[in-house]
Amino acid sequence: MAVPVEYYLLLSAALFSIGVFGILTRDNALIFLMSVELILNAANVNFIAFSKFHGNLTGQVFSLFTMALAAAEVAVGIGIVLVLYRNFDDVSVTEATTMRW
Amino acid sequence: MAGEFIFDVAPAIAVLPFVSFLIALAVGKYMPKRGALGGILATAGSLLLSVWLFVTVYGGETHHREIYTWVAGGEASGALELTFGVLIDPLSALMLVIVSLVATLVHVFSLGYMNDEGETGLPRYYAGLGLFTFSMLSFVMADNLLMAFMFFELVGLCSYLLIGFHFRQPGPPSAAKKAFLVTRFGDYFFLIGVVGIFATFGSAAFAGEGSFPIMAEQALSEEAATPVVVQNFLDVVGMEAQTWFSILGVLVLGGVIGKSAQFPLHTWLPDAMEGPTPVSALIHAATMVAAGVYLVARMYGFYALLPTVLAIIALVGGFTALFAATMGVVKRELKQVLAYSTISQYGYMMLALGTGGYVAATFHLMTHAFFKALLFLGAGSVIIAMHHDENMWNMGGLKEEMRVTYITFLAGSLALAGIVPFAGFWSKDEVLYEAFVHGLGTAGTSGTILLLAYAMGLLAVFFTGFYTFRMVFLTFHGEPRSETAKDPESVGWNVKGPLVVLGSLATVAGFVNMVPVKKLLGPDIDFLHKFLDPEEGFAADLSAHHYEELIHDFGGYTADAAALGSESVTVLVSAGLSLGLALAGAGLAYALYGYDPTPERHTDKLGSIKSLLFNNYYQDEYQVWLATSVTLPLAKAADTFDQSVVDGVVDGISGVSLFSSSKVRRIQTGVVSNYATLLTLGLVLLILVFGVTGGWFA
Repeated sequence: MAVPVEYYLLLSAALFSIGVFGILTRDNALIFLMSVELILNAANVNFIAFSKFHGNLTGQVFSLFTMALAAAEVAVGIGIVLVLYRNFDDVSVTEATTMRW
Repeated sequence: MAGEFIFDVAPAIAVLPFVSFLIALAVGKYMPKRGALGGILATAGSLLLSVWLFVTVYGGETHHREIYTWVAGGEASGALELTFGVLIDPLSALMLVIVSLVATLVHVFSLGYMNDEGETGLPRYYAGLGLFTFSMLSFVMADNLLMAFMFFELVGLCSYLLIGFHFRQPGPPSAAKKAFLVTRFGDYFFLIGVVGIFATFGSAAFAGEGSFPIMAEQALSEEAATPVVVQNFLDVVGMEAQTWFSILGVLVLGGVIGKSAQFPLHTWLPDAMEGPTPVSALIHAATMVAAGVYLVARMYGFYALLPTVLAIIALVGGFTALFAATMGVVKRELKQVLAYSTISQYGYMMLALGTGGYVAATFHLMTHAFFKALLFLGAGSVIIAMHHDENMWNMGGLKEEMRVTYITFLAGSLALAGIVPFAGFWSKDEVLYEAFVHGLGTAGTSGTILLLAYAMGLLAVFFTGFYTFRMVFLTFHGEPRSETAKDPESVGWNVKGPLVVLGSLATVAGFVNMVPVKKLLGPDIDFLHKFLDPEEGFAADLSAHHYEELIHDFGGYTADAAALGSESVTVLVSAGLSLGLALAGAGLAYALYGYDPTPERHTDKLGSIKSLLFNNYYQDEYQVWLATSVTLPLAKAADTFDQSVVDGVVDGISGVSLFSSSKVRRIQTGVVSNYATLLTLGLVLLILVFGVTGGWFA
């Protein structure tokens, strides 16, 4: 008994909204990274759901690439967070405003 | 051909003085005579080559070659091609000899006038002379108008440098500035004229196929077809060919009037006397001032087509001749008299060109170069003797102490006054004769204008005779009127040598072209006429008889030699009138200044006329008034407009953008969350817009 594709889409939409909500309301850079992961995974869920729906493997392969990309992104992100902490003694994104006008 | 070699090395005539300029500039101060020897060698080399060239050209050969193309045109694009080239025809060959001869003698004379007098800054002086000679020789050789314009400007720059040679005194720098600015005012029109000629004809060459005088002739002629380029341009301008060409001619004439010191741009020349005397000789006899007249003669094929411009030239020339001669009558300083005589004599050349006397103008240019250089160098000799006192009231009785200077100076004065048989008589007589016969023969308004110009020129002969001999008598005759004049300093060979050479030339140079003798007695001795009338090759379009045809066909000028019965009578009347007036002037000068120990009172008798003449008809005053009361307020108004309106608009625009950007940049908070919010809101809005327009909610 296959799960209908609409459920996957709802799950994906929920994940995406949670991610966006996290980015908009929190100011901790680590939470930002996690929220971005949620958004990326919402996309992955969509890929795989449609891949199964259409019987085409391209979506699944694509989500593999997304995961690799997410790993790289986190590596860079963690680096930025470390520098942020070193310079501002904090990981809050609202502190790092010295390079604006 | 025999002439090949000399034509190949023709550019060296100009390059040699340039080398001497470089040498004097670089190592002049380590050399024995501070650069003088290099200058003398270089100009003497130029003189030798010029004479060789002259002999070759006299044999009937001419030469035209492009040396260097500095802006390539290309047939397909139809773009302009700008070149440097050499044009050797009888006119330029003759002028090269004159320029290099005078330059050589001026260099030699400078040994006595500058070196022996212990002047400082001599390398700068000789560098200036070298560059001056180089510019003028290149100008003479130029084969197109743009090249001529460039060297015309260089000549102006050099005269500025040399007039202001004694830059620590107050006078010379100001005189140099004035000379520079006044001639530049004329050159401004010249530049526009050059651009106009390029735009109209697509070429500024003086000679050969596709040169602008020939194209202009085709455009104005009824038989030949108008060249396509010219027709296209005339359609754009929307003017008749004759009108438009006249405008171009007058524009170029602006430069000529400035350089050749014609009314009303003559005011710089008397002030230019502040320069060292040898420089005055060079400027007035062979280079700067001669450049203007030479330019008109060079492109005479163009001017001969335009009767309106010719009438302007004749009137300006005749008026200047008379106007300047009257001012020379009351001057106190030796060089001032000579300055006004220069203006006046160049007026005669313009008069000749305007009345169709191409050969007469060239002839007078040549004889004038000799006797005016002689008079200036003679004046320089007197100035050395008088310990740099130029005031003629303090001179007198110098003829006993300075035999060589006196005799040569007298020869120059007789030539200047136009007394037979000295050089100036033959040339000035021919100028007046040409004006006379063309004026009598031409019908209508232009005939009247020519006769008017002739009358002014004739009247000026009297004043010329008067001021010339006033100068001679005051300087050399009578009793010495100061201690210095009783015991003048003696001058060396380097002063006397050039004087003797020029004195001989001023005496005999007229014999090359004794037209009156030919007309009365019949021997074929008008050598200059024949020389300036080549019949072969491109030079046939630059020949005297071609110009005579043009001036008859297009200008409507006709020479009526038999107007007073027969040709002999006309010649005799014309020559007799000018000689009689010159003698009358000289006689009056003798009566007033010849033996009187207190000559000053004769000049004072003129009363208010004297102060009018002494102040040069208040020409300087009215030009200064023009500058301070008209140009200055205008410039100030323009400045105010620039500062307030133009700058206001520019500053306003930048102010607005500065202000708005200072507000708008507040969006950039530096907080990532804000950016994310804006991003999200933007996405939502975009989706909503797509939704509404796409009809999702319908």
